[in-house]
Amino acid sequence: MHIIFSQPASQAEFKTVKRIDGYEAIKTDYPIYLTDESKLVSTDANHLFIPRDEAELVAVIQAMSALGVPITVAGSRTGLVGGSVPACGAIVSLERFDQVESLFFDEDHQEWVLRAGAYVSLKSLEAMLKSKRFPDLEKIDNASVRSSYERFKADADTYLYPPDPTEMSASLGGSVVTNASGARTFRFGATRNWVRGLRVVLANGEFVDIPRGKYFASEKGTFEIVNKAGEKRTLTIPDYRLPETKCTAGFFTAPGMDLIDLFIGSEGVLGIVTRVDVALIKSEPKISIVQFLEDDYQAVRLTASLRSDQRIKLDFLEFYSGNALNLLRRVQAKAPSTVNMPPIPDEARSALFFELNYTPQSSNDHLAVLQEIICQHGADPALSWAAHEPRELERFKVFRHLLPETVNSIIAERKKSIPKLHKLGTDLAVPDEHLMDIWTLYQENCDALNLEWVAFGHIGNNHIHVNILPRNIEELTQGLELYQLFAQKTVEWGGAVSAEHGIGKIKQNFLALMFTPEQISQMQHVKTVFDPDHLLNPGDLFPCEVCT
Amino acid sequence: MKKIVVCVKQVPEVTDVQVDPITGTLLREGVQSILNPFCEYALDHAARIKQANAEFEVIAVCMGPPQAEDALRRCLELGADRAILLTDRKFAGADTWATAFTLAEVIRQLIPDFALILAGKQAIDGDTAQVGPEIAEILSLPQITYGTSVNLTADRKRVQVKREAEHGIEVLDAALPALVTITKGETQRRAPSLDAVIDAHRKNIEFVTAGDLLLDEEKLGLKGSYTQVVKIFPPPTRKDTRVLKDLEPAEAAREIFNFLKENHFLENNRSGAK
Repeated sequence: MHIIFSQPASQAEFKTVKRIDGYEAIKTDYPIYLTDESKLVSTDANHLFIPRDEAELVAVIQAMSALGVPITVAGSRTGLVGGSVPACGAIVSLERFDQVESLFFDEDHQEWVLRAGAYVSLKSLEAMLKSKRFPDLEKIDNASVRSSYERFKADADTYLYPPDPTEMSASLGGSVVTNASGARTFRFGATRNWVRGLRVVLANGEFVDIPRGKYFASEKGTFEIVNKAGEKRTLTIPDYRLPETKCTAGFFTAPGMDLIDLFIGSEGVLGIVTRVDVALIKSEPKISIVQFLEDDYQAVRLTASLRSDQRIKLDFLEFYSGNALNLLRRVQAKAPSTVNMPPIPDEARSALFFELNYTPQSSNDHLAVLQEIICQHGADPALSWAAHEPRELERFKVFRHLLPETVNSIIAERKKSIPKLHKLGTDLAVPDEHLMDIWTLYQENCDALNLEWVAFGHIGNNHIHVNILPRNIEELTQGLELYQLFAQKTVEWGGAVSAEHGIGKIKQNFLALMFTPEQISQMQHVKTVFDPDHLLNPGDLFPCEVCT
Repeated sequence: MKKIVVCVKQVPEVTDVQVDPITGTLLREGVQSILNPFCEYALDHAARIKQANAEFEVIAVCMGPPQAEDALRRCLELGADRAILLTDRKFAGADTWATAFTLAEVIRQLIPDFALILAGKQAIDGDTAQVGPEIAEILSLPQITYGTSVNLTADRKRVQVKREAEHGIEVLDAALPALVTITKGETQRRAPSLDAVIDAHRKNIEFVTAGDLLLDEEKLGLKGSYTQVVKIFPPPTRKDTRVLKDLEPAEAAREIFNFLKENHFLENNRSGAK
């Protein structure tokens, strides 16, 4: 079916919605709503609304729409491209959409599905799943929801939600509209793979419920959206072909695509996701391993073998360059007892970090296979860390998070004397066959300019984050030029200019590298069908037409 | 080979433990058991000594139920060459003295040529910090407690230990054989390697029962214990607390201010609440 009918939502009194008016008032009392993890700061937002439910949200949308005031939706504001930083108009925070609504077993697909408000954080979801205790569900009277919850609790297995973005304070809704990914994307794919249903409130104040597997593009590549009044709008999906790498640049499209996939990763410019259904999988004991290596090129070669050998199945495959390990060593030397991670061996010049299944009481033959592969590359499995107990795994998490935190604190310190400085972090992914090419490009160019830089991240997906730490404006300019070069080469090699951060307000120049003007207008057509006046998330993905 | 014995214990992962509000007992269902963290540090020190002195062998010894095998497997990952599990119903219910007696006897009978005994300063479930010192007393060994670094002298005849004391750090040494209990201090404990994890699965754990030892059964387990745990209970929860939830910071601050003001905490005479 390619026709979907939007439904009118119940509507509350606009005047009862919690609101703060005026930029100065927001800046003084609620400044966090003017920025996000991109550190972009809004200079033009005149209202902040905090609706308590969908009815109040609809009241806000209709009131703002009548006034022609655009709306920027804010979740946990953990994005890195300024998506929730208002270009102008009003901010609508979804922070009260924080209830877990139900847990049910989908008999058709034999999987547990959790339904929750958009603001439920991934971190709290993880904790609730681990303890199998959902305070919201304990309070629900609905007999069917209670009985399903009791069944879930009685299930001998524990479950997890596979996507694991590094920033676990992200909201579920935010992670859906950005198609967030993390280390485990290597095995489980990005958020898209785990979304089973969405409720989306549209710019006209009506909503659509979109279960996965119900609405598909017609043979002509169209969807029809019919509102309460019977008005029909026809949407033609873009005809570009997306790279086969991780990609969060532009709208998803594919022949016969599921409508739900259009909203996943759409950066919130097509509608406001208020409720999400996600699938859960059984959690299994894991072992995490940090294998230290002689140099970064050995890491690239070992990566190719680890992902091609069918005898082992890694959940994630991450990279730490030699210069990244050096930076971590410096932090560790400064405060050895406060940095709760094992000491990095002196011989280590690069590292791969990976995880796979582990059964404590068995012989774990696949670990011997791993040992064999590592040895074939001339590396030493004795020069590694291995953890399978929760407390030890926690120490590895420090290793995982310390590097980006350290980079951010160095930049923050430098900004005190040179305010215009900022971090340059790449988010490019290339096809498997170009991993060595892109690594060589990164290393040769950064070293040639004698820049301070580190590299880390999702090497299993050929998605390494190069972080350049400029020490002055000249290095910032050089870094920006390099980033442009890296992005151009990525597109030439069939990769994506944004693999997980999205485009938002700060990477639109890269969108033009990857897509032709015609393809970008196809995206704008999709936007216009759902949001004719371009009032949702102005300035995200496309330049803001309202405030410019 | 010279032998370093590391006495270890399997404990519940206390961060997960909850207390039954009615019976006051620990709810252990679903709680993971782990190697006592202070024992991990003891193992790390033993492994460092072995790394610097190839003639040393590290032997982990544990008294506990059969499932304590997992804790010993962890010891093998962390650098132990051998692992001995004392497991028998006759050991059950042992207090610190009966535990120390049993461990001391095992060491005396099975590893009589030991050079050094290390132990965690205490287990995180009981927190008594008694077993290590009691073993030293039973075996008539010099003991140094709360050690944070352990080194042997060049002639391998003495052990030098940095220990945490209330007033600062002390550096003591003792003639070998000796016993040292270990605390975390500034130690950055190393993680086991992939090789170590694989090797740990290939090694056997040696099981020892009461019958394998020449022991007076009256001195084992509950029979040999001078003390018994009658009840464990959490401190009573204070009921006169008030938690402010779901408020903006400014609103929360206003509420707290009003509370303090209404209850006369902010008066100049500092006489406190009336």
